[in-house]
Amino acid sequence: MNLQIKIHPRFQLKPLVIILLALMGLAFVIAMVRYANGIGAVSNLSNSYPWAFWISFDLFTGVAISSGAFLMAAVVYIFELKEFRPLVRPSVLTGFLGYMMVVIALLVDLGHPERIWYMIIHWNHTSVLLEIGLCVMSYLTVLAIEFAPVVFEGIKWQKFAHFIHRFIMPFVILGVVLSTLHQSSLGSLLLIQPAKLYPLWWTPILPILFFVSAVTIGLSMIIFESSISARYFHRGLEIHLLEKLAKVIPVILAIYLLIKFSQLTLAGDLKYLFTGGLMSVLFWAEILIGVVTPLILFSIKRIRKSPNGLLIGSIILLLGMILNRFDVSWFAIQHPDPLTYMPTFMSAVHYFPSLPEVLVSVGIFSAGLLAFGLAVKYLPVFETNEDQHDIVS
Amino acid sequence: MTDIQHKTFLFDATRCIDCRACMVACSVENKIPMNKTRIWVAGVGLKGEFPALERASMVYHCMHCNEPDCLSACPVGAYSKRLDGPVIYDPKKCIGCRYCMNACPFGVPHFDYDKGLIDGAFIDKCSMCTQRIDVGLEPACMATCPTGALMFGERDELLKYAHDRLTAQPARYLNHVYGESENGGTSYLILSHVPFKELGLPELSSTPVRDVSEAVMGVTIPFALGWGAVLTGTAVGVHMVNKKKEADAQKLETSEPQAEEKK
Repeated sequence: MNLQIKIHPRFQLKPLVIILLALMGLAFVIAMVRYANGIGAVSNLSNSYPWAFWISFDLFTGVAISSGAFLMAAVVYIFELKEFRPLVRPSVLTGFLGYMMVVIALLVDLGHPERIWYMIIHWNHTSVLLEIGLCVMSYLTVLAIEFAPVVFEGIKWQKFAHFIHRFIMPFVILGVVLSTLHQSSLGSLLLIQPAKLYPLWWTPILPILFFVSAVTIGLSMIIFESSISARYFHRGLEIHLLEKLAKVIPVILAIYLLIKFSQLTLAGDLKYLFTGGLMSVLFWAEILIGVVTPLILFSIKRIRKSPNGLLIGSIILLLGMILNRFDVSWFAIQHPDPLTYMPTFMSAVHYFPSLPEVLVSVGIFSAGLLAFGLAVKYLPVFETNEDQHDIVS
Repeated sequence: MTDIQHKTFLFDATRCIDCRACMVACSVENKIPMNKTRIWVAGVGLKGEFPALERASMVYHCMHCNEPDCLSACPVGAYSKRLDGPVIYDPKKCIGCRYCMNACPFGVPHFDYDKGLIDGAFIDKCSMCTQRIDVGLEPACMATCPTGALMFGERDELLKYAHDRLTAQPARYLNHVYGESENGGTSYLILSHVPFKELGLPELSSTPVRDVSEAVMGVTIPFALGWGAVLTGTAVGVHMVNKKKEADAQKLETSEPQAEEKK
């Protein structure tokens, strides 16, 4: 008998992996310093700026870029557009990891991370933050259930995968409802600040704007992530599917633009478009980068058909929309001038994120990337054979 | 809003001499560490040119709103409004999310940024000295004030008193009692001779800032149920249509003789 032993190293410590691990380690150390000496020891957050970089990046951006999961689940399971099946698993994985990163970041940002579960037992029903907390907790569970069949297939427990798949529909619908709720509620979170949020952004219909923009962010994220993983993991690009997604984006962006400018007109806030100084600049930047440019790009068939066009278009949209999330949750919040009302030892006059503050978010993001890479490597995330249980039969 | 029966402060900026005895009294009474304070004296400092110098200051602490936004925002209900006036905070429930700091239009709640997990980082704010008013005493800041700039009593009485002052000395004051209607009315009323904005007070309408977000929260559950029903309906509908299409396609196939053999 001719026995050939061939060793396939299953886990190669490529340079990228080492960098990601190092960033994770750094974030872990900073988090430990924060737990020992307080939030002020690592961040520039202050009484005037209770929420800033962490909330804008980890919570607002993190939740927004995870919205592809519920969109694809809805498209494939509820509308039974089975051709989009190959996109479900990667986007559910992105969603799951995205929300995990949100939760981990909150464990650093919360003053009492050990009490995060108090949201389950103490309910203040007027609080938007409670709704978001409960939605995120439940949706994370839903995403875990939606992704579980992939894990069970990966470890060859086909029976469990089958079992979960038989009862997937209620979870898909629950997931879409929960996503709709908290994607829009992130906008509602700012409704309590009419005196602080600049009038170009504050409007009672913030939840609607948040939901509509989250849909465009989710679709772009799917395009972005498929394009990147096609390059990085050397697999085929489902360009015919991505092209169809890209075709929908201009329609939604046009709706967004229509709602936004009708609202500004009706509220009589058009005057701020050019008189707000930096605020006007930020507003135009997010509208031009996040809405107008991708609207034009994705309307052009040639761009939708080209891998580079899709990638660039989605990156531009994501950058603009992430700027929007930073604007509403940080840049456009007008804090009362601390000099006139609060002693300087109680509050910083200006805010700029500290390096450790940024590194915490970078480290958590690296963990997400690494987890995505590992999942793709060891689980059938991108595989779509006929006998998989990804389909409603 | 004169029908609200509860304890209230009245602050007269024309009487404040910026001695900060109230800050000391508060910190001693409530055992506040040296690097923190529940009261701060707001103001823009000196104005004008010598010798015509002017300055105005204001004792700033929790406004004890009649409809507190911190209370509305707190996810775990760590805030409560006592019937006799004070808005109080319960550190035992607090998760440290700092949403109350965002919600408060006055920027009152502040947070222990210098405390780790072991010490416990909490929100701190004026409690109207509940431990004192419960035994019939006045809050420490008011009891200490040497010029009577701070007064304390029943809201309707103080409001009437404030308006009496305005009518008695119209030249001395701006004709407005800040807090009478601002943000739905506060339990901290202010009289001033300089624009309230210069004292660090925000311009607010009589509708509490929490109204819009509470209205949105009110429709959340009905919306969720409705949306869930719509989605379920859509899913069932789409499934039935697709099933029918499939069946029709099969019928077509079976009607043709060659299509009999199927796997």
